[in-house]
Amino acid sequence: MKPARALGISAAAGAAALLAAGALAAALRHEAAAHSHELPPYVAPAAVARVAPEVLAARGKKLYFGNCAHCHGADATGDEGPDLHDLWVSDRRIATVVKRGIKGEMPTFGKKLNDADIAALIAYVRTLN
Amino acid sequence: MDPAFWAKMHGATTHFPIAMIFGACLCDTAALCCWQKPASGPLRTAGRYAAVIAALGSIPAVASGLAMTRGDMLGHGDLRWHHLFVWPAFALLVAAAVWRSLVREQLSRRGYAGYVGVICVVTGLIAATGYWGGELLQAFP
Repeated sequence: MKPARALGISAAAGAAALLAAGALAAALRHEAAAHSHELPPYVAPAAVARVAPEVLAARGKKLYFGNCAHCHGADATGDEGPDLHDLWVSDRRIATVVKRGIKGEMPTFGKKLNDADIAALIAYVRTLN
Repeated sequence: MDPAFWAKMHGATTHFPIAMIFGACLCDTAALCCWQKPASGPLRTAGRYAAVIAALGSIPAVASGLAMTRGDMLGHGDLRWHHLFVWPAFALLVAAAVWRSLVREQLSRRGYAGYVGVICVVTGLIAATGYWGGELLQAFP
C-alpha cells in the first residue's frame, strides 16, 4: 500500500485505539459506580478505642505523608486537594470520602487502607483543628 | 480477588511493550543511518516487528491500567501526568505500527525518516509515561 493512503488508515487506527480505551474506561466507571454500595459503612474498629489518641495520630501522620500529602500538601493546607484544617464534617463523612474517593477529584483508598488506618488518619486530621 | 490484582497485572504487562518500543526505535534509527548498507533491510524488518509487537502488547497494558484506576482516564497529580503522556503515546504507537505494517518496504528514505521521527517521539512519550508511573510508586509504595 502507498504510504500516503496508509496514513489515513493508520490515523483512523490510532483514533480507534483511543476511542476503545475511552469506551473501556466508561464501562469500568459504570461498573465501579454500580457496585459502590457494596462498600461497608465506616465503623471505627474496637481496637482503635484502646490506642492512645497521640499514638493513633502519630500513625495517622505517617499514613498521611504516604498517601495524602501528595495532593493535600505536606502541611495539609491544600495543594491540588483542599485544605484539611478545621474540617467541619463528621468522622463518618471523612472515612467515606477516603474509602470511596470523589469522582473525578480524589482517588479511592478503600482497598489500600483498612478501617484502623482510616481511623488513624482521621485522628491526625483532627489534630489540625 | 486480590485487591492489588490489577496493579500487579499492570506492572506485569507494561514492561514488555516498553522494551519493544525502545528496541524498535534503536533498530529503525540504525536502519536509517545505514540506509545504503545490506544491514539496513534486516534492521528495518526487526524494527517493524518490534513496533507491531509493542502496539499489540500495549493493549493489555492499557486495559489493566484502566481496570486498576476503575476507568479513570486522567486523575490527579502524578497519575494525571502519567495519563497525559500515555494517551498520545498509545494512539501514536498504534497508528505508527499500522502504517508500518501496511507500507512494509514500499517507502522512500524520506518517508522512513518521518516514520523514525514518529517512533522516536513515541519512545520519548513512553519514557515519560514510565517516569511518572515510577513517581506514582514512590507516592503509593
